[in-house]
Parts: sequence; C-alpha cells; structure tokens
Amino acid sequence: MSPTPPTDEPIRPHVFDGIQEYDKRLPNWWLYSLYVTIVFWIGYWAYYEWLHIGPSSTEVVDAAMGKIEAQRLSATKLDDAGLWQMSHNATFVEAGQAAFVSNCAACHLASGRGKSESPAAIGPDLIDTAWIHGGRPVQIHDVIMKGVPEKGMPTWGPVLGAKKVTDITAFLLSKHKEGEPITVEGAKP
Amino acid sequence: MPAKKITLEFNDKVVRQFLLATLAWGIVGMLVGVFVASQLNFFQLNFNTSWLSFGRLRPLHTNAVIFAFVGNMMFAGIYYSTQRLVKARLASDFLSQLHFWGWQAIIVAAAITLPLGLTRGKEYAELIWPLNIAVAFIWVVFAVNFFWTLARRRERSLYVAIWFYIATIVTVAMLYIVNHLSLPTSLTHSYPIFGGVQDGLVQWWYGHNAVAFFLTTPILGIMYYFIPKAAERPVYSYRLSIIHFWSLVFVYIWAGPHHLLNTALPDWLQTLGMTFSLMLWAPSWGGMLNGLLTLRGAWHKLRTDPVLKFMAAAVTFYGMATFEGPLLSIKSVSALGHYTDWIVGHVHLGALGWNGFMAAGMIYWLLPRLWNRPLHSTSLANTHFWIGTVGILFYVAAMWTSGITQGLMLSATSEGGTVLTYPNFVDTLNTIRPMMLMRVVGGGLYLTGFVLLGYNVWKTIRGAQVVNGTIEVFDDEETAAPAERVGVFGTFLNPPVLFSAMAGGFACAWMFGDTTLSIVGLVGAVFCMVCALMHWKSRNTAWGAWYDRLLINTAPFTVLTFIAVAAGGMIQIIPVVIAHRGSTIEGRRQVPYSPLELAGRDIYVREGCYNCHSQMIRTLVPDVLRYGDYSRLGESIYDHPYQWGSKRTGPDLARVGGKYPDVWHLRHMEDPRTVSAGSNMPNYPWLFQNATDVKALPAKLAVQRKIGVPYPNWTPEQIEARVNEQATKIAADLRAAGAYVDHNREIVALIAYLQHLGKFDEVSGADNRTTAQ
Repeated sequence: MSPTPPTDEPIRPHVFDGIQEYDKRLPNWWLYSLYVTIVFWIGYWAYYEWLHIGPSSTEVVDAAMGKIEAQRLSATKLDDAGLWQMSHNATFVEAGQAAFVSNCAACHLASGRGKSESPAAIGPDLIDTAWIHGGRPVQIHDVIMKGVPEKGMPTWGPVLGAKKVTDITAFLLSKHKEGEPITVEGAKP
Repeated sequence: MPAKKITLEFNDKVVRQFLLATLAWGIVGMLVGVFVASQLNFFQLNFNTSWLSFGRLRPLHTNAVIFAFVGNMMFAGIYYSTQRLVKARLASDFLSQLHFWGWQAIIVAAAITLPLGLTRGKEYAELIWPLNIAVAFIWVVFAVNFFWTLARRRERSLYVAIWFYIATIVTVAMLYIVNHLSLPTSLTHSYPIFGGVQDGLVQWWYGHNAVAFFLTTPILGIMYYFIPKAAERPVYSYRLSIIHFWSLVFVYIWAGPHHLLNTALPDWLQTLGMTFSLMLWAPSWGGMLNGLLTLRGAWHKLRTDPVLKFMAAAVTFYGMATFEGPLLSIKSVSALGHYTDWIVGHVHLGALGWNGFMAAGMIYWLLPRLWNRPLHSTSLANTHFWIGTVGILFYVAAMWTSGITQGLMLSATSEGGTVLTYPNFVDTLNTIRPMMLMRVVGGGLYLTGFVLLGYNVWKTIRGAQVVNGTIEVFDDEETAAPAERVGVFGTFLNPPVLFSAMAGGFACAWMFGDTTLSIVGLVGAVFCMVCALMHWKSRNTAWGAWYDRLLINTAPFTVLTFIAVAAGGMIQIIPVVIAHRGSTIEGRRQVPYSPLELAGRDIYVREGCYNCHSQMIRTLVPDVLRYGDYSRLGESIYDHPYQWGSKRTGPDLARVGGKYPDVWHLRHMEDPRTVSAGSNMPNYPWLFQNATDVKALPAKLAVQRKIGVPYPNWTPEQIEARVNEQATKIAADLRAAGAYVDHNREIVALIAYLQHLGKFDEVSGADNRTTAQ
C-alpha cells in the first residue's frame, strides 16, 4: 500500500476489504497508565470501603458543617439555649474535653465523676444530676468562670479565658440531657 | 475448492438513505440545540408557548442528536462497512427498509410527542412507552438483519470493527430494555418500575453507557473501517485492538455512578463509579492510539484530504473527551464541575468533536462512492472543517469557563467559611451570561459547517447516478469449517476466559465479602493475575490461536461480549434493588404525595423542570449551606421517576417545600422575573389556563400502588374529593394573598407539589446519623 512500508513491522496475514493490520507492541506508557489506575482502584477501595480508614461522605460533611456551626455559635449570646446547642457540637465538646482533662481532672477526675468515683477525689461529681451551685448551663458556666473560692473551686475565668470556660461547659453539658431533673443540694449562695 | 465466481451487489441503497437522514436530522438536531441555547440567554424566545419552552425542547435536542443524527450515521456506517468486511450483501432488503423507515417514523413521533410534553422524565429516555416498544422492535430488526448477514458471510474471521458493532447491538438492547421498564397508566403515560435511588442508578447505568455503546463503540467500529480505508494504511496494532476492546466494554459499564458522585447514592457505588472511570482512561485512549497511529505514513494526506482532516480531528477530540471524563469523575472535581456547564461542555466535546466530525468525515468519504461523482467542492469541505473546529473550540472554551466560574461562585464562602459569598443563585447565573452567549456563537458556527456539508452533498448528488458497490466472490465459500468451531466448552473453558472469570470472582469476593472472604478474594485475585501472566508468557501463541478461532465464531464471541458488559451492571444494580427499601433509607422516609401533589409532579415532569433543577442536595458544604440538610436516600424512595437531575441552570429544589408562600410560586411561574430579578426561566402561562387532569389520577394511583408506593385503595370519588379539598385550600390561600386562580388549574397542583418537596418522616431504629443543621 504505502510506497515505503516501515520495516520490521509484523503484519497480520489476513486482509479485510483491503484493510491490513500491524501487530505492534502496546506502548509501555499506555500499559502502565492502565496498571496504575487498577492499582489506584485497589488502594482507594481498600482505604474507604474495605478497611474503612477514610471517612464516609456523610462523616466528612457532618464534621465540616459542625465546624461551621461552632463558628456561628461562638458569636451567639451565652445563655442556656446557646450552651445546650454547643454541647451538641463536636468542636466545642472536643475542645472542652481537652481543657477539662488538663485543668479539671486533678480534682474532678478525667471521668468527671469526682467523689462518686473515688472518695479520695477533691471535687464533686459533675455527671450526676445533683448540683451544689445550680445545674442550669449559665450557672455551671458561672461557677467555672468565677469559682467558689471558699469551697476550693478556683476562679478559672482569668486563667483559662472565656473560650475554654465555654468549651468546658459544653463538654460537661454533653454528659447531660436538656430537661433532665436537677436537684440542687448543699451550699446556699 | 473455488467453484463458481459470482458478482455480488451490496445493498447500498439503505446506506444512502441513512446517510441523507443523518444529514437532515443532524441539521435539525443542531438547529434545536442553537435555539435552546439562545433561550437560555433570552427567555423571550420561549414565546410563552408550551411546546416551544426550553424544558420540552431540550429533550428534543438531545434525542435528535443522539438517536436521530448519530443513530442514522451509525446505521449508515455499520451497513456500509459490514457488507464489505464480511463479503456479503445485507441479509434482507425488507428488514433493511423496515429498519430505515421504522427508525425515521420513531424520530418523527418523538419530534411530535416531546414538544407536546409527553415524556417519561428520564434523560435520553424521555420517549413514551409505545415508542419505547417501537425502538426495541426496530433494534431487534437491526440485530436480526446484522447477525443474519454475519451468518451468511464469506469472510471467515470477524474484523475489529465488527466486534464493536456486536458490542453495540447487544449492550444497547440490554440497557434500553432495563431502563425503560415501566407500567403504563394510559396510552401516553407510564411510571418507571424503579424509584428513587434505584431509578437514579439504573438511569445512569443507561445514560452513561448510551454514551459508551451508542455514541462510542459503533463510532470506534466505523473509525476502524474508514480511517485505514481513507489513509490507505494498515491499522496500527491488532493486539491493541483486542486489549482495548475487551477492557473498554468491560470497564465502561461500571462507571455510571460517576454521574451521582457526592449524592445520597451509597458510598461504595460512588467509589466504584469513580475508580472505574479512572480505569477507563487507558482503554479509551487505546482506541485513540489505534486511530491516530494508523495515520503513520499518511499524515501528509491531511493537508489535502478533508476526510482524513475530519477523522484525525475527531479522534483527537475523542482523546480529549475521554481524558476529561475520568478527570471529572474524581469526586472532588465533580464537586466543583457537576451540575454546571462544564459537563455540558464535556458532552459537546464528544458530540461535536467526535461524533459530528466522524459523521462528516464518513459522509465526505462515502459521497463519491455511493453516487459515482466526485465531491462537488473540496474547498467547501475544508471550510466546513475549519468553521466546525473553531465552533467547537468556542463552544467548549465557553463552557469550561462558564462551568468553573459558576462552580467556584456557588462554592465561595466568606466570614470564616460560615456564609455563602453569593447567596442569590441568579448572581452566579448572570456572571456566566457572556459565556452562555459565546456558546451560541460556537454552536452556530458548527451548525453553519453542517449546512455547508448539506449544500455540498446536494450539489454532488443532484442528477448523479447512484451506484452500488460490487464484489467478486466464490459462491460456495464457507464461513467456518466444523473443526474450527469453538463450541460451548471452547468458549468458556480456555485460559483467557477462565483466568478473567476467576480473577473477577475473587475481586468481587474481596470487595463485598466479610473479613475472611475478602482476604481470600484479594489473595485469590492477585494469584489469578500472576498465574494468568505466567501462563500467557509461556503459552501466548495458544492464547492467540484461541482468539483467532473465537473470531470465526459469531455466537460465542457475542455471548462472551454480553457477559463482559452485563457483569458490571448486575453487580451494581441487583444489591441496590434488593436492599433498597429495607435498610438503606438513612433514617428518613419520604411522605407519599397526595393525589393533587402527584398530579403536580406529573406536570413538573411534563414541563421538563428536571432539565434545569436538581432535587438532590449533595454531601458537600456549599450545597448544605445553600439548600439545607443533605438529601437522604429515603427522601426520594417513592419518586417514579426519580428527579435528582443532572444540571442546575436554576437552584436545587429538594427542600423548596415551605420555603416560600404559595403566592410566591404562583408569581414565579407566571413571570419568574417579578420575584427573582435576572432569572432566565420561561413563563408558564398555560398552567393558569389548563385544568388539572384529575380523571387520570385513579389509574395513576393504581399503578403507583403496584410499584410499591403505599397509597390506600381509594375510590375515584375519594381521590377527587381529596384533590378538591387540597386545591380549594391552596386557592383560598392564594386568594388571601391577592392572587385569584381557579382551584382546578394546573398551577395549583404544581404549587401543591412544590410545597411538598422535602417532607419526610423520621424513622427510628434505622441509621440515625446526626444531622448538620
């Protein structure tokens, strides 16, 4: 067909309506791109669907929306409703837990159960429904902020700053339910 | 062995018919395309007329271009090349004529019914059920005619083009039938048996593979015939043909879910859709390489031959589109590009560049051979080429810019990521208006090119003598000697098939098995691949010999092709169909529509609202910020057909219910610009004149009950009473707001439907994920 056919090119013996076929090797770059995409499939499937290391679509969007909500909440007024909302938000609760463990666990224990868990603990139980200085969110926030020096509870506000106090309040509230029966016992204001 | 020599005349009459139909419908389809693109810029072009509105004409454009333009082109190319590649005249002149006239009748029927609003409401599957049956019937006629011709062939072996034609015929039949399974409620209306996520999955299994097996594989076959013929060069690589054919037909089927990335579709399906799309890149480029590299030694001909110009450009555009496709299938790219003009640009890169240019190249090549007269004007053909190319570049560049711009604007946030920068959707629409205009220019140029082709064809064939190809054959040539038949055992019990089947089985065990089974599956799959490689290295001549033998056997080849294309769909669809309504509703169950709302929904479908509005809030922050909590699977389980949509020319409507008062919707349908300044949505005055078709509801509800929507067994009177009660209430509400409309008008039903969108019941015990808002 061509006046000068390229040499050393194996050509298939059969001719279809004048059409011939070479039988050239597959280009390596082409083969490797096929292999790479197959390996990628195996790795991607293993990461997300088999070993479940990667987060699911909903986990990703839930976490991202949680962060956005946290940002919005941090601008809201500190009242009972706002603090309850924060207690449902992972960003506040996680930050609060970290601050609690490093600052409050010494007296209230990491579990927050204080004297209920161990008689040797200094602080009272914060997980049960019995409160000494009031169990409404703003009251809890207030106690952490201002402390109860005469009972050994330090004034945390100047030490931790407003944000961490709010986080800790949200963390504690996350261990409670809105509307649960509260008993206030002990010291009068 | 040679006995009597006879001269065989090919049936080229039907090729000429299909060729001229290609040209006519191509120009019609593109004209409608330019018109609907103009409507997006100038809403006035909807002319306040139902049958000229965008939502009804856009399906006409897509159906005309896919099934009328490319369909006719495919039949012309297949019939021309097959007769020559197998040295046999088409088996039946009657079937050939039935095929041609049947197909044209379907197209005419579609061109009438679609503007009338008779639609199934699924993209590229809009035709109503009687036409679906006609399409299936004509497809069977085509298949019988084709395979009968193969059975009478005088060429023992099947050339690569024929492989692609076989894959096209069996796969399109499978896709078309499954995606059109419906129960009729009347002569012109039906509901798909699948709903919600099932329907979405089946739809895109079909939609994506309509691209694959209607717009790609037949055209690849045509490429494999016409490029070597026009270039007069051998095909580059036979083994590349084998590898890319089998990998293409196997992998393509799995990629459908990439149209549903980041939606409520279960993650495992999204993962399959994305990763298989990436795996599809190399098989697609295998076709491009074999096309382009066949031109080695013939590149100089591109300077003078418009046929090769068109075909080389077409294959290049094919390569671009099949690179862009996998790119868009990456979840994070899809997050930006999906629902935008980028996707529109992508399909037009394929449709205009690949399909349109292959069609043009083929027509220019066939003209002198079918009418026995040289092409009227080569320079006009060259002009066509350049106008078309510039048109494509305009179109695609505009759509890229437009899609990415709008995608970025829709995702943009400010104030620390908590607020949308462009909360008003129309702002993003109006930013891309210059690009939308440029697309009309590009499309117009492309159409002009085809008009030039039409003129050239007319000048060439006017008064020309038609000529049918002939060939000298020996009248007793046999197709395959008995010793060369592979038989059932030979088809399945051979190393390539066994290794592939075992590796596929193990891979499925790995993906879907429990811990032990999945480890066994992974090890087994790798083991199979290593064994296959070793076996191939030592015995590859045996593999080659088996394949050569397979190519002599049409039926075994067809069966293996069918298994390869059926596997992916079965593995994806069957689990979803079985598991759907039980466990995977994600804690929410859609509240079924009231009879009035259902009537409104059918109006929504009739007007083609899904062409511009999605009902699917993706699991993406910008979507949630803009439209509310992301959509759960259970929230659309009773939607037959599903209406998740694929394009957002306007905003998502999944949670529009209750967002605005009734009167807002009324004003908006009357003239969208009164409540949404800058909108390009058409006015819908006829909804204020037409009465809601309440009489059809009993039959519709009966069908809905049959396909699983929990409606009580109401009598027609009860249905009418319910309709009247709800419609009267809405009309009263509208009256209180100062809008007077009779309660039996369609607008009332549509408002009832729109206000229902987003209603669901919480389902305890099921998947209780915390919600974002």
